[in-house]
Amino acid sequence: MREMQKYAYPIFLAVMAVLPHLLNSRWQAVAITFLIFTVVALSQDIILGKSGMFNMGQALFFGMGAYTTAILNHQLGWSIVATIPLAILIPAIFGVVLAGPIVHLRGDYLLVVTIGFNIVFVQVLQNNLGGVTGGPNGIFGLDSLSLFGINLASQVAVYYFAFLVLLATLWVMRNLEKSKPGRALHYLREDQLAAESIGINTRIYKIFAFGLGAGIAGLAGTVYATQYAAVSPEAFEFIQSVLFFSIVLVGGSSIPGILLGVFVMFVLPEIFREFATWRFFIFGFAMIAAMILRPRGIWPATFGKIPKFLIKGGSHGA
Amino acid sequence: MDIFLQQLANGLTIGSMFALVALGYTMVYGVMKLINFAHGDMVAASAFVGLTIYTQVMGQATSLLAVITIFLLSAVCMACVGVILERVAYRPLRKAPRLSAVVSALGASLVIQNGIMLIWGPRMRIFPELVPQVYWDLGGVVISLIQVIILTLSLVLMVSLYLFVEKTRMGAAIRASSIDQDAARLMGINVNSIIALIFIIGSSLGAVGGLFIGLYYRGITFNMGWQYGLYAFIAAILGGIGNIPGAMLGGMLLGLFNAFIAGYVSSTWADAFTFILLILILIVRPTGILGERVAEKV
Repeated sequence: MREMQKYAYPIFLAVMAVLPHLLNSRWQAVAITFLIFTVVALSQDIILGKSGMFNMGQALFFGMGAYTTAILNHQLGWSIVATIPLAILIPAIFGVVLAGPIVHLRGDYLLVVTIGFNIVFVQVLQNNLGGVTGGPNGIFGLDSLSLFGINLASQVAVYYFAFLVLLATLWVMRNLEKSKPGRALHYLREDQLAAESIGINTRIYKIFAFGLGAGIAGLAGTVYATQYAAVSPEAFEFIQSVLFFSIVLVGGSSIPGILLGVFVMFVLPEIFREFATWRFFIFGFAMIAAMILRPRGIWPATFGKIPKFLIKGGSHGA
Repeated sequence: MDIFLQQLANGLTIGSMFALVALGYTMVYGVMKLINFAHGDMVAASAFVGLTIYTQVMGQATSLLAVITIFLLSAVCMACVGVILERVAYRPLRKAPRLSAVVSALGASLVIQNGIMLIWGPRMRIFPELVPQVYWDLGGVVISLIQVIILTLSLVLMVSLYLFVEKTRMGAAIRASSIDQDAARLMGINVNSIIALIFIIGSSLGAVGGLFIGLYYRGITFNMGWQYGLYAFIAAILGGIGNIPGAMLGGMLLGLFNAFIAGYVSSTWADAFTFILLILILIVRPTGILGERVAEKV
């Protein structure tokens, strides 16, 4: 089993690295979607899985990144790559500012407030606040990817852009797990009172987790805007947040679990059209079952009945 | 002034619908300390069940008797769903960490919402016109028969619920279970039946709320439960969650708030203002207006 753990990641990454050359253009697009939503789900995992905060507004930060890129590119003529720093920074700042007054709320209240943020955000986009969001139609006709004057318009280039973002996210999460903030988040998720009593400033770390998760989601938003060359409000409705939330929960806050969740929710519906209408129904049952069969399933994430090699990278920190 | 009175009438109508739905949240919260996220979807389901009873069972009759039957049958159906929901999704988790139950509630919400979609389809359905379209013009303020019925019936239901909880032995058992379940058990109260009772009452009131929503707005969609559910939940928090008169007051206030925003600002911003209100309440006074039970901060 240990051997499998050691090889699973390199094999997965190697397969992902050569994947676009094995697929036709339709499946390349599906693969890009898979990468983008994996990054968003991982960013949700930082807030929900790693820190235990019931955030159901991740689509807000995702959308904010996408809109930052779209507005800067379309209205101000920045190149896509040049928008990346702001597409990370603006959602991260919003994450910090929005989280500030609410992180002390208990899980279920936090959940409702973050839904509220998401709904307010979509309403702001639809009402075309400041005349820059394009209203209900959104913004379309973004430039394609280019770097140092080299045009990277092909879908394969976008795929590698998304892949690079995924690698960066995995790297951040790996480092987070082994760093002081990561350990602090781990403690405060397990027992906030105990964490406070050993001198961890839980408030600061919670806000930090929100900012980090928001920034990564924003970066994924840039990739999304690049892939579709357009953004529109309905892509960031809070039902999307529900998706990310349930993927992280059912996936048990582990990387294989999240990959599987994103695959089931976004790739399977492409293969079986019929499944698209059933996916939420089935996921709802999965959420109930996961809680009943493993009442402490996510708290902490120990999925005892699942073979051990699948739990590698689980939030227990291995 | 006209616009004020008109929005007052509209606000009281939608407020009483919010209040009916909010009672379901607040009663479950009072006893189980759980936000029943599936409640909003049960409200939506009730509108669809009512639609089906009207077309399939009642043969599209709109006599008074038929309308009463539709209300009763829908309420019974939703009460059964409520009891099953509690038995399957919540009871096994009563001793588990409470956020597990919240996740289970979210799962149940997705199951019910998408169950509606699988049965009745994803498109908007039109709720039948069970009540004749009668309007009265009172000096520039237009009030419809539907509004009067909704307001009166809601008030009757709320007053009866209040009297039931405050004046009867069973009501005392509900109050005792919400204060301390273990102590209630020691006093010989069957807490399991009380919880089942809570789900029966809450779900039937929600069912009536769902039918009112159908009657008032006419268009019903499978995912409307989230919207009305969230509004009702905000109403419950506004009044002080766990507090029955609080839910009624919160519902009315939220209905008025919404109507005035729609009347004086813009209906396209109503959701945003409502959620900003919620966020402010949770930051400034998380116990709500009448809430003595402190919203825990851990």
